[in-house]
Amino acid sequence: MLTPENHQALDSLLHTASLWRGSQQQFSMSRCPSLPSGHPQLDACLPWQGWPAHALVEILSPCWGAGELQLVLPLLRRLSMENRWILWVAPPCMPYAPGLVMAGVNTAQIIVIKADPLPTRTLWSIEKALQSRACALVLAWPGYLSPRHIRRLQLAAATGQTLGILFHQRNIRHSASTLRIRVESTQDALQVTLLKVKGSYRRDSFSLMRGQT
Amino acid sequence: MSSRLFQLPLLPRHLHAVKSRGTPPPGKPVNAGKHSRRHSPLWYAVHLPQLSGAVETAGTALLLQQRLSKIAEVLGNLSATVSVQPPDSLLFEVRSTLRYFGGMEKIRQQVQKLLELQLQTWGLPMDFHHAASPTPAASLLLARAGHNVLIHRTDNLRSVLGKLSVQALPLPPDKRKQLHNTGLRRLRDIWRLPTHALGQRFGLDFIRQLDRCLGKVAMPLKRWQSSPVCHTAVEFDYPVENTSMLLPHVATMLGTVTAFLQRHELATTHLLLELRHEKPGGEQPSDEWQQSTTLSLDLRQPSRQQDHLRLLLETRIHHLVLPAPVIGLRLEARHFAPFIAAAGTLRGLSEGATEGVAAASQEQDGLHDIVPLLEQLQARLGNAAVRSILSTSEHCPEYAGQDRTFTGKVEARPSKPQADSRPCWLLPEPVALEQNEGKLYYRSSLSLLSGPERIETRWWTGQEVRRDYYVACNRQGMRLWIFHERRGERQWFLHGIFD
Repeated sequence: MLTPENHQALDSLLHTASLWRGSQQQFSMSRCPSLPSGHPQLDACLPWQGWPAHALVEILSPCWGAGELQLVLPLLRRLSMENRWILWVAPPCMPYAPGLVMAGVNTAQIIVIKADPLPTRTLWSIEKALQSRACALVLAWPGYLSPRHIRRLQLAAATGQTLGILFHQRNIRHSASTLRIRVESTQDALQVTLLKVKGSYRRDSFSLMRGQT
Repeated sequence: MSSRLFQLPLLPRHLHAVKSRGTPPPGKPVNAGKHSRRHSPLWYAVHLPQLSGAVETAGTALLLQQRLSKIAEVLGNLSATVSVQPPDSLLFEVRSTLRYFGGMEKIRQQVQKLLELQLQTWGLPMDFHHAASPTPAASLLLARAGHNVLIHRTDNLRSVLGKLSVQALPLPPDKRKQLHNTGLRRLRDIWRLPTHALGQRFGLDFIRQLDRCLGKVAMPLKRWQSSPVCHTAVEFDYPVENTSMLLPHVATMLGTVTAFLQRHELATTHLLLELRHEKPGGEQPSDEWQQSTTLSLDLRQPSRQQDHLRLLLETRIHHLVLPAPVIGLRLEARHFAPFIAAAGTLRGLSEGATEGVAAASQEQDGLHDIVPLLEQLQARLGNAAVRSILSTSEHCPEYAGQDRTFTGKVEARPSKPQADSRPCWLLPEPVALEQNEGKLYYRSSLSLLSGPERIETRWWTGQEVRRDYYVACNRQGMRLWIFHERRGERQWFLHGIFD
């Protein structure tokens, strides 16, 4: 229990310049450019107040199609309406244009790179897409990933100043990505857990209401 | 000063001392007026009626175009200025080459020889009409009328053309009839009438046409230009087995090709790289070139940027498995397009001034930026791997969303807003759902969230679609688009996944 005296002492301590606080690190990160995710709850948990614009993000889900696209739909909507290019690399099947149009996405700005039988070629395409500054967002479904690959893709995203979002199922520890999120869904809610946020110790977990379908 | 002025007009007399008509007698002063007349151009017209006749039977205009280009190419050996006059004639200037070939008769022989050779290869009749005069319009008119004549001086044009029937003039039928009804049979009849009255009666175009024949008005001519050919080759002293060893050579060859493109103000859309292999046996040196690997590179947009082209070729070469050592390379630029420089902003202009321009070109630039990346991806993954998606106003779900090879920005058509929900993913083929004790399963048991939405369509194709669509959810939280078939076995299928 904090007495007023203790409170004062704590306050003066907190204002000492020599005291280093882990939670303050996020302020340096917050200067990075960001893209609003369109989910206020998610934005509030992230030090960038949105998706980090020049970095790699991993979204893990128990299986494909478990609502993970819901997280990026507001971003897709906004970028496509701004006439910026969005690349979908190796999606598990062809995205369905009428569904995306209904969600408010301009499908003319979407380019799909079909999955190649060789996983290395898919990884190569993701790397090239991230390195190029021509597209604003790269969504990718790499079949196979190792920490080394993630590091390379993270570097490519930083070089090309592009936001890359990888969708996969395996939680790879010590991966170099800037943000790692796990998504689990129930009938009407999306359970989002932050597994890793570079520059922040917050490991929040919250639920988002699923949009009406 | 005065002596210099006097000397200048003498210079051309010397140049034209040798002419088809023979040298002027020495010492005879040259009349300045006569002199300039001699320097007027001489247009040679060739009329080949069999060309358009053959094409009418073959039924292709493209063939005619190709044949005319081929003849223009052949005639290019005789003159620097060749003009194609569709559908069946060609014009070329011969005054400038008269001396080189040794007179008009020699040129006529050459024309006959070249044309007969060419017509023979096509299996066409070898007769043709030709005429030469100081004006292109008169030459064309005479050749088309079938008068094989040579007129040296503009003064003589009137008397020769006067004999021509008015029917020879390229006129619409009603004008022709009008001329006939007026009692005008030959061109000289027309010239007897006052110009002003003629203009009023037959229009200004008619007068201009006649004036062009007499050289009073210049006739605009489109000069024929041969299509550019650009290829370069390298032969190695020793066989190369490693693809990375080829890259410096490719870069050098690309330098040659891009220099060619720059000289000709062109850009290319198709490059062909041929890697010539040593024959596995390698006994006969003459057979060495028989085996080759060809890489063909198609570009979305015409380009002549060396770095970009090199990157694309390198991507292709890097992942190439050489079937045999390479002993030579050949690079060819196939299709050409005029070079259009990308719009840029001038340095030194204030940001505010350029803002409007930048915003206007932003949409076009959007495609401009992404094309190099897409070309690089296509170079390695194949053209069909890069797709664009679009929605069409089709009732059947399979046809409402389509994907096609990316060829440029697809204009998003405003489709009707649909009241019912559509998933973001559609399976390539519907998957049959398991059923157990009246419950549906996909990974786990399903519960229906909304529906049904009835879709009945395509009865006219013989593959009728009669389905009730529902939105369902499984225990993993996947939202699924499933349907119940209303015909046949009345099975349940999974068709799409929402997000």
